[in-house]
Amino acid sequence: MDLDPAVQTFAAESRELLGNMEEALLRLEADSGEKDDINAVFRAAHTIKGSAGLFGFDGIVSFTHKVEHLLDRLRDGAMGLDADCVALLLACCDHIGALIEDAVSGRPLSAELAATWRVLHEKLEGYLGPSAKPQPQAGASEAAPLPAGQPQEPNSAAADWHISLRFGREVLRNGMDPLAFLRYLATVGDIVHLTTITDALPHAEEMDPEACYLGFEISLKSQADKAAIESVFEFVREDCAIRILPPRSKLSEYIALIEELPENTMRLGDILVKSGALTQAELDRSLRQQTAEAAQAPASVADGAPPRPLGEILVQEGRVAQSVVHAALDKQQQVREHKAQENRFIRVEADKLDQLINLVGELVIAGAGTHLLAQRAGLGDVLESASTLSRLLEEVRNNALGLRMVQIGATFQKFQRVVRDVSRDLGKDIELVITGGDTELDKSVVEQIGDPLMHLVRNAMDHGIEPHDVRLAAGKPARARLMLHAYHDSGSIVIEVSDDGGGLKRDKILKKARERGLVGEGQSLTDAEVHRLIFEPGFSTADQVSNLSGRGVGMDVVKRNIEALRGTVELTSRESVGTTVRIRLPLTLAIIDGFLVGVGPARYVIPLEMVLECVELSPAERQACMGEGYVNLRGQVLPYLRVRALFDLQGQAGSRESIVVVQYGGRKIGLVVDTLHGEFQTVIKPLGPLFRRLRGFSGFTILGTGEVALILDVPGLIQTVATKDAHGGSSAAHAVAASAGVGSDAA
Amino acid sequence: MGKTVLIVDDSASLRQVVSIALKGAGYDVLEGCDGKDALTKLEGQKVHLIISDVNMPNMDGISFVKEVKKLPNYKFTPIIMLTTESQEAKKQEGQAAGAKAWVVKPFKPEQMLTAVSKLILP
Repeated sequence: MDLDPAVQTFAAESRELLGNMEEALLRLEADSGEKDDINAVFRAAHTIKGSAGLFGFDGIVSFTHKVEHLLDRLRDGAMGLDADCVALLLACCDHIGALIEDAVSGRPLSAELAATWRVLHEKLEGYLGPSAKPQPQAGASEAAPLPAGQPQEPNSAAADWHISLRFGREVLRNGMDPLAFLRYLATVGDIVHLTTITDALPHAEEMDPEACYLGFEISLKSQADKAAIESVFEFVREDCAIRILPPRSKLSEYIALIEELPENTMRLGDILVKSGALTQAELDRSLRQQTAEAAQAPASVADGAPPRPLGEILVQEGRVAQSVVHAALDKQQQVREHKAQENRFIRVEADKLDQLINLVGELVIAGAGTHLLAQRAGLGDVLESASTLSRLLEEVRNNALGLRMVQIGATFQKFQRVVRDVSRDLGKDIELVITGGDTELDKSVVEQIGDPLMHLVRNAMDHGIEPHDVRLAAGKPARARLMLHAYHDSGSIVIEVSDDGGGLKRDKILKKARERGLVGEGQSLTDAEVHRLIFEPGFSTADQVSNLSGRGVGMDVVKRNIEALRGTVELTSRESVGTTVRIRLPLTLAIIDGFLVGVGPARYVIPLEMVLECVELSPAERQACMGEGYVNLRGQVLPYLRVRALFDLQGQAGSRESIVVVQYGGRKIGLVVDTLHGEFQTVIKPLGPLFRRLRGFSGFTILGTGEVALILDVPGLIQTVATKDAHGGSSAAHAVAASAGVGSDAA
Repeated sequence: MGKTVLIVDDSASLRQVVSIALKGAGYDVLEGCDGKDALTKLEGQKVHLIISDVNMPNMDGISFVKEVKKLPNYKFTPIIMLTTESQEAKKQEGQAAGAKAWVVKPFKPEQMLTAVSKLILP
């Protein structure tokens, strides 16, 4: 559709209207104005808004809407017109003119205009007061006459919608042609079967030729949802009785949707509307009926007797199937129970639990020892009973660890209040959506995750979510969404904090980073690398410091706290779409997945989450370097440490050695070991006070054989290499130069 | 011969866009700049659907609808009112006068097309 000529008409027409508006305002200021002048101003604003919307100039619409709102109140006499107000309206008039010129010429909103916009918007808000939106009136509409008897049971195939239509007597006189609706219905889906109901047709002598007596029973095959089908009959809804019964297959879909809804407290009607089983219009109607019934009930009954439950009305009216209402009620119950559940806990001292888990850990080790002994002695019977024992022990251990697990829901729920208070402070409309509240994780993790989460939530509200008018100008819903979501993913728990705000401004971050020398002038970074910058200490792009956040102590602290829990944090963001911060945490602090390696007779455990890959150390490199060095790993410099040399172990290396590539905090190093034993679950035991000062170990564990295996402190080892690098960085270049012939493309 | 739609609004650009959209879908379109003007357009013509704004100079939308309903030829002609969400009272008034369908301003051309095609096909 080529709208170019129309856009020109719009520009010319708007100029004229703004001119009229200005004249009328000046007359009003000179006190010679009349009521007609306010009307003229209002009409001009109104017309501009209507046309601008048609061209998709949403910025103009949202601004003019505010102005119109103020004018509306002036017109109704709710407010007096003073000189300041006229001045403000004149300024708005100029601003609208500027906006239109910009929009018509296709330029994006200039910074200057955006600034004026904010100033004017604030002043308008000042006159209107916060949230001065008029409540839409429900309006007094008489209930449509219900057809006698229940609609016929849908006996068609389960995949079809069933629609019962009884047109009101007046539809023809109102210019509504029943056939037109049926024809339009055919564009939404295929009408499989249609029966015309003529029961209401009177005798010829009583018949009013201008009245409509028809009804239809329709089977419709359609992919559309209930709201879409209902909207076909939007214009006759008031006069007609319409029932839309979903296909059988839809019922289970609704029930599944209801079960997946977030765990917020909701009313029955809201649950049904959200799942799509009920449309908002149907709900409004049934609620009106409920109120009407309550009002009609005789006083004796009405006294104290609650009105008929909504669910009952909905089912009786045939709007929603019984099974769907049941599912919704169950959901409601479930949410309520979740909230009440805290009272059903037994409080146990945390120390006692820790002791139990420790003991179970010991038991697991002892069990493995017995198993091994039986195997060596070749005692079949003992081996079998030892197997049963270890299986039970595994279960006991899992259960014991489960005792420490709590649902994250309670932590999430606390944020309802935070979001409410903070959004009020900031003057933003923010909705918190919580999902996955029943995900469990270790109690000690839950205790320590609160602060980082608080930081992220506040950050999202303060910096992530844009101010009201910016959102509207960007065509987003005024009500922002902040989501807390938790789920299990391969042995760890993931917590997501996401918002539908403005996202990270890549250019702004890069500029700041360059100013601070974090990034070189010519260096180009990927989006992920730019996003990682905001985790740098003291990094903030906030223009102003607010009392909520923006003082630059933020994301780096969050990152440190989470890493202290052996977790990771990452951030994905798309400009003007939103930001998601994903925190990945181990399920428990007491048990890790480890990778067991051997050097001579000693055994070491490397936390599996830090292991990237294992490669063989080539004989050439084995000879080149004894203690530490660099290898060319597919064109990249990889510094490595020989564990044998590091811990001063006796004996000669075997015939082969392997490099385990580990990664932490964006850095990679290799650890050279003799043998690889594979992964296994490890109960972490802290080192005794005597060994506290040892570097390179974070704890130990006991293997099934009774041997002790030390857990390597990978972050510490990487730190060692990094410090050395800073002193003698040139050797890295040598390593690559020497092996440039081997690597495909040397870095 | 296609169905004819009369669009009544004081904004020429709005009329123009609606007209482009409807003509593209195969309707014939007449334009009127206010209620009085529109009534003269209805004379001697067969119009199948009327779209009318509420706020207009000379004769506003509500009075216009009342006048249309008095014309014998247009007793059964569907009328779409253009209202804004803040004009719930006007919408009720328009419905009482006989304009049962409405489209909320500001709207996109596609929304108008959908509303029209629910009532008549080209």
